[in-house]
Amino acid sequence: MRAREASSEGADFFRASIGFVLLILAYFAVRPLFSGRASVDFLTIAILFTAVRVRPGLAAVVGFLGGLTIDALEPTTFGAAMLVMTLLSYLGSRTKTVFFADYIALTGLFVFLGKWLFDIGYVLVGRGVHGVDLAVQLLVWSPISAAITALVALLLLTLVRPLYRAQAT
Amino acid sequence: MARSVRNTGRIDTALVVACLAISLFGLVMPAKMRATVSTVLRGTVLAPFVTIESRSAGVRAAIASRNDLLQVRGRVATQALTAQSVADENATLRRLLGLSSRLRDGFVAAEIIPSRGVEDDFTLTLNVGSNAGVLPFSPVVMADGLVGMVQSVDANTSFAITWAHPDFRVSAMSVNESAFGIVQPHLGTGAERWLLELRGVPFRAKLDTGTLIVSSGLGGTYPRGIPVGTVLGEIATPEKWARTYLVKPSVLPAAIGPVLVLLPQRAVRGVNGVWANMTSADSAARAIAAAGDSLARRAALDELFARRAALDSANAVNGVTDSTALVGAPPIAPPTAGGPVIPQTRTDSLRADSVRRSQAGRVDSVRKPTIIPPARTTPPAGASPSGNGAQVRPPATGVR
Repeated sequence: MRAREASSEGADFFRASIGFVLLILAYFAVRPLFSGRASVDFLTIAILFTAVRVRPGLAAVVGFLGGLTIDALEPTTFGAAMLVMTLLSYLGSRTKTVFFADYIALTGLFVFLGKWLFDIGYVLVGRGVHGVDLAVQLLVWSPISAAITALVALLLLTLVRPLYRAQAT
Repeated sequence: MARSVRNTGRIDTALVVACLAISLFGLVMPAKMRATVSTVLRGTVLAPFVTIESRSAGVRAAIASRNDLLQVRGRVATQALTAQSVADENATLRRLLGLSSRLRDGFVAAEIIPSRGVEDDFTLTLNVGSNAGVLPFSPVVMADGLVGMVQSVDANTSFAITWAHPDFRVSAMSVNESAFGIVQPHLGTGAERWLLELRGVPFRAKLDTGTLIVSSGLGGTYPRGIPVGTVLGEIATPEKWARTYLVKPSVLPAAIGPVLVLLPQRAVRGVNGVWANMTSADSAARAIAAAGDSLARRAALDELFARRAALDSANAVNGVTDSTALVGAPPIAPPTAGGPVIPQTRTDSLRADSVRRSQAGRVDSVRKPTIIPPARTTPPAGASPSGNGAQVRPPATGVR
């Protein structure tokens, strides 16, 4: 019985890893094709989907590494993405019992809020944006990006459910 | 169990705190150290991802440039279509400019106002009226020849009928004055509707295909010498005592654009030499061509050779040159980049022609020299605006 559970957990971990790698690849390969003021953030989806599968500590590490990736590609805001993504991933892992039930709309809301909060934290901490530009970025473009990201996340959950379905813990 | 859970919680907390601490350190790190760390990461762990990202960006740039290329192609295609129409319009205007230069005075340049309602192919609305001196019966001409006649005039606009109008009539003659008649629309069906016919030509006057028909000046509406069309061939009619010829108009309907309205004083003075004098006829067009515009050069040379061919055929009939000699002569070559090629006439053609005429000995075969039909006669009051009443058909025995 215990061996069967371990085998099941191993298969689940393997599928989750594949899903994570695919999302990371999509972040680097697909996102540049559609870059604009509002675009899909595959990295945020990958981190949030991972965060709800692992413990908060490990989720924080995953978020930290994801943020480090972003910061390495944009040195001017170095540290901001790490900080925000660590907190976001940790909070996502803490709240997984709320958002990752079998109700898929809640998952979309989780991704939407996660992406929007990340943008808010990232812009406020790392970017020197003020005034109207800040308001437009946080109240117009960030919600649009969050909505697109949430929509893609829901599509992934619907179409490739075995890879991204969260296990009840 | 409780201890295990508590330890796991502590580990989680420791990991979070550690990650946050490192993140905060990254935030306050000196810029140089940030750049170093970023460079190391991009060159090692993230190198494959950076490569993928750059290639994706390249693909996007290629797609964007492809779209730009397609847009540029579309614009070029559109401009090519409009360029042809602009070139045609330019050629028409230059030829009109040449005609204006030859007329010198006594005319008004007019634009055609597009029809506002039902399309009418037989009438034109011009943007000049009585304020510019335009009167009813004023001839409307283009560089190619006769377009029509002003029918009614307002202060700032006037309405003209074209040669295709069923009421259009013009007294005409062959350019060598060997045949006179009345030109009117053919009133056929289909494409033949856009042809003219020369009616009432004396039976003995036979015209060859390609003979230029010009206005005779009889009737007073149209001055003498305005090209009307060229003979396409004879058509059968019930009138056995006269011939009727099908005539291709000099001004095709599609070519009708900016026009000149001849004012009454100019119509009275006549337009002798404007369309027929080879020396002065194309001086303006040649001057424009000399300016270096290739389009104008081509149009001017086309016009020059067309007129020269018409005069050559007229001179051949008049006996100045032998038409039979021209049969063997090389045809008129189209204008080339190197300049015009003048057809050579055999030097013995004059003598052969005169000998043949003297041998014939028929009195009626010798055409009386240059009996000019009476100059313009004032149209009678109340004459039909269509010109029917203003035209006087030449008597059958008038000049022959």
